[in-house]
Amino acid sequence: MGRDWFYDRLVDVRRELVIAASPDEVWSVVAAPERQAEWFPGMVSSVVEETGEGTFRTIETAAGGFIREEVMGVDHGARRFEYRIIGPFRLEHHLGRITVVPDPCGSLVTYEQELEPKALTYVLDGAVADALNGLRDLVVGGRKSRSWVEPTSAPGRGGST
Amino acid sequence: MARRILFVTTDQQRFDALGCNGGRIARTPVVDGLAASGVRYERAHPQNVVCMPSRATMLTGQHIRNHGVWMNGVPLPADAPTVAGLLNDAGWRTGLFGKAHFEPFLDPFLRFPQNRMGVTGATNEEGRPHRGFECMEFAGHGSGGLVHYGGWMREHHPEHMLSFYPPLDGTLDVNADGGGDTGAPQVLRNPVPRAIYHTDWVADRAIDWLGGLSDEDDWFCWLSFPDPHHPWDPPDSELHRVPWRDLDLPDGYPSNQTEREVALDAKGAHWRRWYDGDLVSNFEAPARWVPATLTADQVREVDAMAHIENELIDEALGRLLSTVSNRGWDDDLHVLFTTDHGEFQGDHGLLFKGPFHVDALMRLPLVWRPAPTTGIAPSVVNDPVGLVDLAPTFCMIAGIEVPDWMDGAPLPVTPEEAARRQRPAVLTEWDSVHPGGSEVHLQTVTLDGMVCTRYEAGTCHEGVEGELWDLVGDPLQRTNLWDDPVRRALRDDLVAELDALLPERPADPLRTQAPV
Repeated sequence: MGRDWFYDRLVDVRRELVIAASPDEVWSVVAAPERQAEWFPGMVSSVVEETGEGTFRTIETAAGGFIREEVMGVDHGARRFEYRIIGPFRLEHHLGRITVVPDPCGSLVTYEQELEPKALTYVLDGAVADALNGLRDLVVGGRKSRSWVEPTSAPGRGGST
Repeated sequence: MARRILFVTTDQQRFDALGCNGGRIARTPVVDGLAASGVRYERAHPQNVVCMPSRATMLTGQHIRNHGVWMNGVPLPADAPTVAGLLNDAGWRTGLFGKAHFEPFLDPFLRFPQNRMGVTGATNEEGRPHRGFECMEFAGHGSGGLVHYGGWMREHHPEHMLSFYPPLDGTLDVNADGGGDTGAPQVLRNPVPRAIYHTDWVADRAIDWLGGLSDEDDWFCWLSFPDPHHPWDPPDSELHRVPWRDLDLPDGYPSNQTEREVALDAKGAHWRRWYDGDLVSNFEAPARWVPATLTADQVREVDAMAHIENELIDEALGRLLSTVSNRGWDDDLHVLFTTDHGEFQGDHGLLFKGPFHVDALMRLPLVWRPAPTTGIAPSVVNDPVGLVDLAPTFCMIAGIEVPDWMDGAPLPVTPEEAARRQRPAVLTEWDSVHPGGSEVHLQTVTLDGMVCTRYEAGTCHEGVEGELWDLVGDPLQRTNLWDDPVRRALRDDLVAELDALLPERPADPLRTQAPV
C-alpha cells in the first residue's frame, strides 16, 4: 500500500477542466487567494490577511455565511495551491488543492478536496465544478462569476468583487 | 366558470395521521370532511420514500428513472417539464407556498435558483415563472435555511431565530441531539408563538396570493406544509393538545427488544445494520444516532409532537378553505391532499426513514375532494395508486391532454374505475450512494395485496435477497415471505411485473450535489 492508495482513498472530490490558456496565465489567477471570488460563483468576497501564524482567508458566501480558511501552500514551481477550511464547520480534516499543469490544448486544472466527515462532499463537488467553469470564463473570456448578492463585509476589509 | 385546484401536501406524514384513515390521536376534521365528501385512497404509494425524488414525481408525473432525481441532493433538471408549466402555459395562475425541495437545501454558494429566490425574497426566477410557478414563497423545517420564511422571521421576529431545533450540527451532518422530556432525537421545546410558526405562515402566504386573483382566473395553488417532518418542535403553547404520557405505543412498535430484533433480522441486512448504528444510507436520518437506543417513551413523545403538528396543519388548511369559500369559489374547487412519503414514528422500533419499503414509509394519506359541480360521488378506492398519478389528474381536471412524458394516469374516482386501470401495479424505487461508502438499491412493486421488493447488489446485499409482504395477512409486516417456497411462483410473477414497470436506468445518472 503506497502513497497512491492512501491518496485515492482520501480524495473525496476531484474535478478537472482543460482551459485554452497557458499554465502561467491560469496559475496567475489561481495563485492569488484574494481573487477567488472573481471566479468562484456564489463567493461574494475573499479577504486575505497575513498574521504571525500564517496566511488566512475569509470567504463570504452568497447564502450569508463566512468560511475561514488557512492557506497551506502556494507552490509556484509545481503550480499547486493548497488550503484548508478551519471554521465555522467543525471538520476533522479538510484539504483543498488546485493544480495547473500543461495540456496540449492549454492547461489542465485539477481541483480536489479531502474532507472528514463527509456531509459537505456533494456540496463541494458541485461547487468545484462550477468554479472551474468560472475560472475558464475569467481567464479566457474576462468574465467574472456572479456572486448573486452584495457583499456584507465592512468597507475597507477588502474583497475582490 | 373558472377551474380551481388546491393541491395540499404535508411532509413525511403517515397514513394513520388522519382521522378518516383510522387515526385515533390527532383531530383532523377538515381533511376528514374532505374525505367524507370526496374520494379517499386506501393505498397511495410514493415512487420514492424521501423528499426530493418524491416531489419531483409529483411535479412531473414521471417515475424516478425518467425525471432522474434518484436521491436527495440531486436537483431536478432546470428544463424538466412540469404540470405547473403546462397549466401556466394554458393560462392558469400558478403558485406554490411552503416547501418545494425540487433543488437541494444545503447550498452555501446559492447555486440553485430556489435558494436564490429564498435569500433575495424574489417570488419568481428573475421575472419568469420558476418550474411553471409564477409565484413561489418557500418555507423549510425551522427559521433557518435559504427560504422566504427565514427572511421573514429575521426581519419580523429575530428574537425567535434560535427558538427552533437546528436541523444540522456543527459538522453539517443532520443533528442527533435529543430534547424534550425524553431526549428523543430532533425533539425540542419551541417557545415560538403559534401565529408565526411556519404552518400558519404557509397558509397566510397562500391566502394572500389567492386574494389577488379574480373570480375569472383558473388557478393551481400548491400549499406545501413542511410538517410533520422532523425536527419535531411545534410551538410550546400547543403541547397540551396531545400529552405524550397519555399515548399508547403504536401498534407497529414491538416493545419487546428480542421480538423487535428478531423481526428486523427477518428483513434485509440493511435493516439490522442501521438499527445497530452500523450503516448510514440516508443523510436525513442523523448519522450519529443509533436506532437501537430508541426508548418507548421517546416513541410516545415523537408521536405526540407529530400529531400536534398534524392538528395545526388541519386548522391552517381549514382557514384557507374558509377564505376560498367566502369568495364563492368552493363549488368549482378541487382539493387534493397527500404527502411525499411516510415516517416510521416507532414502527419496527425505528424513527425517520430510509431504504425501507414498508407501510410506515409507503402507505400515504391521499384524499381528492372533486369540485362539487362535477357530481362525483364520495367513494373509497382500495386498489394501489401512485403519486405519479397526481400530475395527470391535474391535467384531466384542467382539460389538458395528458402528455406522453408523464408516466402516470388520472386517479380513479370509484373502485370500478380503479379495477379497469391498464396497469394497476405501483412502482417504488430507492437508490443511495453515500460518500461514507454505503450503497443500497431497492425496487418494489405493489399489486394484489402484496408488496414485493427486490434488492440489487450493493454494500449490504448480494443482489439475490428481497422482501415479500402480505398486506392483508400480515399488516404489520413481520413475516418476510421472500424465501417462502410456497410463495415462489407469486414472487416470480411480481418480479416479472416489476421488470415490466421499471423504466431503463439512465446511462448517465444525474450527479448528487448536496446531502439534502
